[in-house]
Amino acid sequence: MKEQNSIPASKVARSAKFVGTGFKIGGNYIKHYSKKIFNPELTRDELNEDNATDIYDSLSQLKGSALKVAQMLSMDKNILPKAYVDKFSLSQYNAPPLSGPLIMQTFKKHFGKTPDKIFDKFDLRSNHAASIGQVHRAELNGEKLAVKIQYPGVGNSISSDLKLVKPFAFRLLGMSEKELDIYMKEVEERLVEETDYELEVRNSLKISKACADLPNIVFPTYYKELSGPRIITMSWIEGMHLKEFLQTNPSQELKNKIGQALWDFYNFQQHELRAVHADPHPGNFLITPDGNLGIIDFGCIKELPDDFYYPFFSTTSTDLLNNKEETIKAFRALEMILPKDNEKQIEFYYENYKEMIALFAEPYMSGEFDFSQTGFFDALYGFGEKIAKMPEFKQARGVKHFIYVNRTNFGLYNILSELGAKVKTDTYKPHLKLAF
Amino acid sequence: MATKQKIQNAYIDHILTEGKKPASIFSFAKKNKFAEEEFYKYFGSFDAIEGGVWADFFSTTIKEIQEQEVWLTYAVREKALSFYYSFFELLKKHRSFVDYSMSHFKKGLHTPIPLKESKEIFEQFSIALIQEGLESGEINDRKFISDRYKDALWIQVAFLLNFWIKDYSKDFEKTDEAIEKGVNVTFDLFQRTPIDNLFDYGKFLAQNAGFKMPF
Repeated sequence: MKEQNSIPASKVARSAKFVGTGFKIGGNYIKHYSKKIFNPELTRDELNEDNATDIYDSLSQLKGSALKVAQMLSMDKNILPKAYVDKFSLSQYNAPPLSGPLIMQTFKKHFGKTPDKIFDKFDLRSNHAASIGQVHRAELNGEKLAVKIQYPGVGNSISSDLKLVKPFAFRLLGMSEKELDIYMKEVEERLVEETDYELEVRNSLKISKACADLPNIVFPTYYKELSGPRIITMSWIEGMHLKEFLQTNPSQELKNKIGQALWDFYNFQQHELRAVHADPHPGNFLITPDGNLGIIDFGCIKELPDDFYYPFFSTTSTDLLNNKEETIKAFRALEMILPKDNEKQIEFYYENYKEMIALFAEPYMSGEFDFSQTGFFDALYGFGEKIAKMPEFKQARGVKHFIYVNRTNFGLYNILSELGAKVKTDTYKPHLKLAF
Repeated sequence: MATKQKIQNAYIDHILTEGKKPASIFSFAKKNKFAEEEFYKYFGSFDAIEGGVWADFFSTTIKEIQEQEVWLTYAVREKALSFYYSFFELLKKHRSFVDYSMSHFKKGLHTPIPLKESKEIFEQFSIALIQEGLESGEINDRKFISDRYKDALWIQVAFLLNFWIKDYSKDFEKTDEAIEKGVNVTFDLFQRTPIDNLFDYGKFLAQNAGFKMPF
């Protein structure tokens, strides 16, 4: 991998980067429409592809939180055309590494020693990027280690990055700035948490301990004494990323086993721990040679408060959905129906959200669910496209917790569908409340 | 007997607690109980002591980074980065002194007197580095300009010193960023750039100006 020569430094430079992207995208549109004059059959796929490439190039040069936003956008396959998603998925794997001396410097700052004095072996060339940091291989006392190092100044640049991303988010999501603000705040909070490596180590230890009994899941061992505010040391997990794994043509049985492990991991956290690893992008998982699921990143933990958990997950049960009055109360608690809505609006949102939640909850409805069937996803995307065209949904609704909960669950569904796994869905069921 | 090190320490101690230079070498020697002539054995003036401290910072850093095992595996760009990082890491332990000393630098384009000796040490280091880069092709040889590369690296030192002294971020993280970005930009400019190709093309056109277009 080629090392990045420079990172756009000031906010001005970063803005310039985005402005550049804007110009390019404008150009892409011109290209598209001029071609279309001669060929009316032309679909927007090529245009989307061009745009995605340019946005991706621009975001990956900015690194840090912007890259994180790219990852986030790529999770929401349901709102983005396919071409965007393919490009954004790249950001889940690659970003160019930083210089060797900076790594030495980071170590000297936290431990007063260079990495070659701390570890028996330390590879100065980064193994892969972790969006706000990069991972290096090391060895100590015969054990292979993964050392994650954070780029300096990431925390500081988050808010200014998000401000830059905002205009793109409006365009992509079709929301107004004011409505987007509470969501952007939520994203900012999580991102700031993600830059706190000490918190990540605490989370990792806590969750890996709580999930220790789940079958077929492995966690790395974390070394607190070798970790600091910008460094995390953990044992190295040998394994393949999802895409590589699928290229080896694994058996259906193995795919189901991995899928089940994923399902259990997420639903145990959501329903038992009420705090969930909210970053289900494929780069955070490894499939080990003995067919287990390795989970390697605990940067993003979303806690589910009761006043969100109960109204939301209770609606996944038909017992509640069949009771219109209580369902509307739950929707009100979730701010999907707002106090100033009139009768007609209440009826409208009730019907549509009910349809959406019924779709979302489909895997929960029966004891087993086959994620390889495309019908479910087509229905999901179809519904997404339908509401995207409705003027009623131009306005943002729903409490801020939805962002990460949706991202988690749709992310999970996406991975399971890519795996083509059949999963028992009644292992960890939502806790319900039938009246509000 | 006063040693060089002792005099240096006593002087630093004095300026940091008093916030100013001792009234005279006589009073300084008297207070620290050594004969005035012993002072002149090592230093000509107070400024010379300060210059010596600075020079020590530079030579200590250079020695330290060259002793690291990774040094030989580094490209020129990384070697330069390594210097800047280690230099400011070292300065962290002496921030008060640096602050005091820099606040007494005379404003202007000339190298401040206490940095004269340091500049020579650093130039030696950077000339060797640039030579290495020119040989490996990492740095582009440009007529007249190549000789000024070393100045660019020195200006970087001056810029970063000023940046660092005003950097109040946690653990001087911003200085790290300034180093990473600034040094990378400098070396990007040292490399062969489109401008070089443009000059090259311009030269070609100038030399072949007699050539007439057939249409």
